[in-house]
Amino acid sequence: MTASFVAQSLLNGILIGGVYALVAVGLNLIFGVMRIINFAHGSLMMLGMFTTYWLVSLLQVDPYLSIFLVIPILFGVGVCFQQVVIHPIMRAPEHNQLLVTLGVSLFLDNLAVVLWSPDYRVMKTAYADINYYVGDVSVSLVRLLAFVLAVGCTASLYFLLKKTDLGKAIRAASEESEGAELTGINVKKVYLISFGIGSACAGVAGAAVAPFFPVYPYVGNLFTITAFVVIVLGGMGSFVGAFAGGVIIGVADSIGAMLLPAAMKSVISFSLFILILLFKPSGLFGGRIG
Amino acid sequence: MRNEKKVSISRRDFLKNSAVAGTGLALGAVGFPAVLRGAQPPEIPIGHLHPLSGSLAFDGQEMRKGLLLAVKEVNEAGGIKSLGGAKLKLLDADSEGKPELAISSMERLAKSGAVAVVGCYQSSVTLVATQQAEKLRIPFVVSVAVADEITARGFKYTFRIQPNSEQMASYTLKYLREIADAANTPIKTIAYLHDNTAFGQPLAAHVKQLAPKQGLELILDVPYSPAAPDVTTEVGAIKASGADIVLDTGYFGDGVRVYKTMKDLRLQAKAVLGLANGAFSHPKFVQELGSIAENVMDGNYHANPLSEITKRAFANYKKEFNADMGSGTIFPYMAVYVIADALERAKSTKGEQLREALAKTDLKNHILPQGPLVFGPDGQNVNAAPVIMQVQNGSVKVVWPVAYADGKPIFPVSM
Repeated sequence: MTASFVAQSLLNGILIGGVYALVAVGLNLIFGVMRIINFAHGSLMMLGMFTTYWLVSLLQVDPYLSIFLVIPILFGVGVCFQQVVIHPIMRAPEHNQLLVTLGVSLFLDNLAVVLWSPDYRVMKTAYADINYYVGDVSVSLVRLLAFVLAVGCTASLYFLLKKTDLGKAIRAASEESEGAELTGINVKKVYLISFGIGSACAGVAGAAVAPFFPVYPYVGNLFTITAFVVIVLGGMGSFVGAFAGGVIIGVADSIGAMLLPAAMKSVISFSLFILILLFKPSGLFGGRIG
Repeated sequence: MRNEKKVSISRRDFLKNSAVAGTGLALGAVGFPAVLRGAQPPEIPIGHLHPLSGSLAFDGQEMRKGLLLAVKEVNEAGGIKSLGGAKLKLLDADSEGKPELAISSMERLAKSGAVAVVGCYQSSVTLVATQQAEKLRIPFVVSVAVADEITARGFKYTFRIQPNSEQMASYTLKYLREIADAANTPIKTIAYLHDNTAFGQPLAAHVKQLAPKQGLELILDVPYSPAAPDVTTEVGAIKASGADIVLDTGYFGDGVRVYKTMKDLRLQAKAVLGLANGAFSHPKFVQELGSIAENVMDGNYHANPLSEITKRAFANYKKEFNADMGSGTIFPYMAVYVIADALERAKSTKGEQLREALAKTDLKNHILPQGPLVFGPDGQNVNAAPVIMQVQNGSVKVVWPVAYADGKPIFPVSM
C-alpha cells in the first residue's frame, strides 16, 4: 500500500464526506424542528440534480450559478410538500408519517421516470475534467467545490439559526411548539420555512454532486440511508454534528475499503454507528437544535 | 379487524373495476361487426419480465424496446404463417429488479395467456423466474442474464441465447491474448474490478481460473457494491497494483462512475477492458462521456456488424426509438425471432410442443457473431461467443475476432 494511495483515499473520504454532510444537514433541520423523518429527502436531492442538469444542458447556465435558481425552486417544492402532505399528518403517529414520506419519495422518483425517462445522464461541463495533482494524488475540482459548498451551507445555516430572529423562532418552535405559539410565533409558518430550507439544502447537495455524478431518477436512494446514519452519528438536530458525522462516515468508508475486503467496506462506519447508539444515543454532538 | 376491513374494500374495488372492464368488453363486442372480428387472425401473447422501474429501469426499458421492435417486424412480415398469420402481442411485467416479485409476475403472465416468456436482465431474478416457468411449463427464453447456474439445473423449459459467464470470460481472455500477440505487446498481469452481485462474482471465479491458460496472472481482485456512491478507494487500489490490463465488470450506472473515477485518478494501463460490462460498449456511454471514453475496450455480447440483418435491425431501432441499439438489446430482439421460428415449426402455441420446437432450433439467419444458433441439451446456445469492442472516434467498433470485425484494435492504448 503506497503512501499516495492512502493519501488519495483519505482525501477522497473527506471530500465525499462533505457531500454526505450536505445531504444530512437538510434532513437534520427537518427532523430537528418537526420530528419528521423525511424519507423523501433523497428524492428532493434528485430534483435538485435534475434542475441543475436541465439548466446546464438546455440554457447553458453555469452549474454553480444554477444553485441560485435551485435554492428558490426546491424551497418552493419543500413549502408545498409541508403544506400539502406533512401538515395534515403532523399529529399522526410517527410510523404513519414515515410511510407518508416514503410514499412521496416513491411518487417523486417515478414521476421523474415518467417525465425524464430512467436514462442515466452525465452533465457536460468544463469543470468536470479538471483535476489538480499533488504528487500522485489527484484532487478533482468539482469534488473540492462540493466540499466547499457543504462547509458554506452548514455555516450559513448555523448563522441563520443562532443570529437571526427567524432562527430564534425556529429554535423556539423546535423546543416547545405550544410555548412558541403562545409568545406569538406563527409555528405553522416556521414549519413551512424550515421544510423549505431543508429541501433547499437537499437541492444544493444535488446541484453540488451533479457535475461528477450521473443524474437519474433513483439517484437519491444512494444517499438517503447514508444521510440517516450521518445524523444519528452526529446527533439529531446538531449541524456541527451532521457535518462532522458526514466527514467521519466518508473517511471510515475509505479506510474500510482500503483495509477490508470490499463486501465489508461499510463495517467500520456501521460499527461506529452501533457504538454511538449503544454508548451515546444522542449522537456525538447530540442535544438541541443549533 | 383492520385487515379484514381492508380486504373487503379492495375486493369491492376489484368488483367495481372488473364491472367497468366487463362493460367495456361488452360494448366492444357490440360495437364491432362479427364478420370483421372473425377476419382478424388470433393474437399470440408473449410475456416479458424486466425491471421496468427501479434502479435498473433504464436497462429494462431498453430490453422492452428490443422486444417491441422484433414483434413489430415479425407482425409486419405476416405474423406466424403456420398459425394463420397470427400476430404476436407483447405482455409487460415489471420485476422492479426484485427476485421476490418474479413468481407472482410469472403467474400473472401465465394467467394472461403468455405462450412464452422472455426475461429478466438480472441473473438473480432469472433464476427464480425460470424455476416458475419450469413449473408452469411455459418456455422461457433468457434475454440477458449471465450466471452459469441458470442453464445448469436440468430445466427443460429454459433457453439462453447469450453467452454464459464461462463463455464470456474464456473468449474475452483468449481474444485479449490474441490482440496483444498481434500487436507484439507483452502482457502479464491483470487487475479485476467487478460488482459484488450474482453478475460479477461468477465472472471473477472464471477469470481467476482461466487467466493462467492465457499466460496471465490475476494480481488483484476487487469487488465493489454497485449501490456505493463512491468507488475512489477501489479504483485507487487497482491503480496502485500497476497491472498491465485493467478488467472491469458492472452495470451501466456504476460502470460510468467507475470509469470516470479511473480517468480522475489518471489510471495507467495498456488497456482498460470491460468484461460483459453494462456500460463500456454502450452507445449511450460514449455519447454521455464523450472524448474520455475513447479507446476503452469491452469483451461482450454484440451483434455481428457485418451482417445485413444487423444493419436492418439497427436502422429500424434508430427509426423507431431515435437511439442507438445497445448490445444488450440484441438478445430480447433475437429472443422474439427464436420464439417466432419455433411457433412456426410447432404449428401450436401449447407449452410442450413449443418447447420441443425450441429445443430443435437451428437458426442460421440471425444477427449474432457466431455460427448457427443451436441449443444444447441444457438450453444454452452452444456456439455463443462475445466479441471485443473498442470505442474509436466516438463510435463502438467490433475489433476482434477478425471474422466479425468492422474496425482494427488500437493496442496498447495510450491513456
